[in-house]
Amino acid sequence: MSEKVLLVDDEKDFLDIMSERMQARGMTVKTADSADKALAMLENESFDAIVMDFKMPGMDGIQALKNIKNQKPELQIILLTGYATVEKTVEAMKIGATDLLEKPADLEALAARIKQAKAEKMLLVEKQTEEKIKDILQRFGG
Amino acid sequence: MILLHRLKPAFWDLPDTAGSHSGLNLKRKWKLIVLVTAILSLSPLVIMTLVDFNLTRRTIETETNTGMLTSLNTIAAVMSASLAEKPPGTGAKTLWDTAFSHLNTGRNNDLFLMDNTGRLLTPSFYYETSGSRTILDPGLFTGSDGIVHIQASDGTPLLAGYARITGTPLMLVQLRQADWLRDLWFKPRLKLLWFLCASIGFILLSIMGMATFLVGRIHTSERQRIEALHHEEHANRLASIGRLASGVAHEINNPLDIINQKTGLIIDLLTLGKQDQPDQRLLPLAEDVLETVKRCGTITRQLLDFARHMEPSVEPVDMEEVISQVLALLETDARQRNITIQVPPVPEIPGFACDRSSLIQIFLNLAENAITAMEKNGILTIGVFNEKTGLVTITVSDTGKGISPEDLPKIFEPFYTSRTDRWGAGLGLAITYGLIREMGGDIRVKSTVGKGTSFTLTLPVKAPRPAAADGTLHLPGSEMTVPANPVDDDTWGDRYAKP
Repeated sequence: MSEKVLLVDDEKDFLDIMSERMQARGMTVKTADSADKALAMLENESFDAIVMDFKMPGMDGIQALKNIKNQKPELQIILLTGYATVEKTVEAMKIGATDLLEKPADLEALAARIKQAKAEKMLLVEKQTEEKIKDILQRFGG
Repeated sequence: MILLHRLKPAFWDLPDTAGSHSGLNLKRKWKLIVLVTAILSLSPLVIMTLVDFNLTRRTIETETNTGMLTSLNTIAAVMSASLAEKPPGTGAKTLWDTAFSHLNTGRNNDLFLMDNTGRLLTPSFYYETSGSRTILDPGLFTGSDGIVHIQASDGTPLLAGYARITGTPLMLVQLRQADWLRDLWFKPRLKLLWFLCASIGFILLSIMGMATFLVGRIHTSERQRIEALHHEEHANRLASIGRLASGVAHEINNPLDIINQKTGLIIDLLTLGKQDQPDQRLLPLAEDVLETVKRCGTITRQLLDFARHMEPSVEPVDMEEVISQVLALLETDARQRNITIQVPPVPEIPGFACDRSSLIQIFLNLAENAITAMEKNGILTIGVFNEKTGLVTITVSDTGKGISPEDLPKIFEPFYTSRTDRWGAGLGLAITYGLIREMGGDIRVKSTVGKGTSFTLTLPVKAPRPAAADGTLHLPGSEMTVPANPVDDDTWGDRYAKP
């Protein structure tokens, strides 16, 4: 089963090539050229992972990250940044980013992270479902 | 000459150009100080001596003249009385003649009798007894007595005292050489004059010594100020290079990523096999492009590391722990190159606090440089000493190829690199330098080609207040010894002297 990825970047060129390359690796890719559009897309669709640029005009990576995490906490978000400082990474991780990769990103590494993120998400969803079931069972059984 | 050379102040031979001493003309200053002080201190002395000279001369002159006149008058009175008793003509004249011939002792005591026509009645030292010829103009002697300046027939200036003998046309005259008086008061004064000259000499010497000391101090402090300015200039330059680097790196990273992805796509297209007969050279070429992009990425990352200027967080740091963390990162590389890492027991440093990540980065940069310098086989030594109060000394030394004396002054400049491979951007030591300066520390380097290099860091136990985050570097005081711009000042050369 292929991974479904949402790619968010303000650079159109980057989006096109990345999506083509990721698709060539068997992933299903949707793109958004701003954080607002990405948030709108998340309303109706579910993704295994979101790959998002840290620095974007309008809503930036950190803000978008906060909003997405509020909306769907189980979503796995991988941030791309031109320059990763310890502080930046720690801040992103605290908010709940799965990973922070430096540009120019190595696609193989990114693909590996996406695969991992999907697995983590599945685990998270499974856990959530389990808890839900437990909850339901408790409510009805007890 | 050697003594003169040693006495000469250090600033004497300095060129008084605007650049070297910001327009301070030290030589001129020295001369001015000496001149003004000398005038101020010597003029009262000289004036008082002159006044004293004049006063003494006048007093002695008056006193002698009065004395001479009094004795002349006394003799004249006695003669007048004696002549009145025994009129001239018989024995009396002979008696006076005899008396006067005895009195005529010499050039400074010429006593004789003269009548009102100018005829000499008794012999004189200066004027011969020549019968009725008038030799001395009697018109010179007015009044009953007095002192006048006259000239002898040979031109000698004379002092003539005279007194008329009452009741006769005779006049008693005493002649003295005019400079006889001067001899009287001038000779003892001459001794005083020597004393005066000696004291003037002493005063001048001490003024010059004082001026030399003062101007020397100005010279030293001015040099320190210029050194501090050099540091500041250098730090500012590093800061602006940092800002520029940061901007450039950010702007380059995005297009680099696009190149990266597009080349990746080319490789994808070639390898994922949609092309039937691709040119054999295409794939290696595209891979070369990727490799080059990676290199550019490394450089921009290093640039950003260099430009990074965040608020450093000062926290208590365990030096031993930091070193072990750094060693963990270096271990693999060192083992592969067969390099031994020696760390003598790290002393307890009570209250040591600094920006931890900066310290780690400093250690990493220095140690990585050392390992690179050794290539294969060697010993890397990291020593920590807490000997001086308030200071921590850290040494990082290697047994590598060393740095040549020409290159030593340049190693802290950005983009200076000794590495011939393509990975060194030459920012490592510039970053290290900036970090140490931010921590209020100091770094020195000693190196011998072929034997190895040793970096010595001095960090304050208590780090100074965090530096401003606006890109200006923290500037420690002028006692800092890290040369800011070693190239344009000769004195820096000494600091880089070979061990």
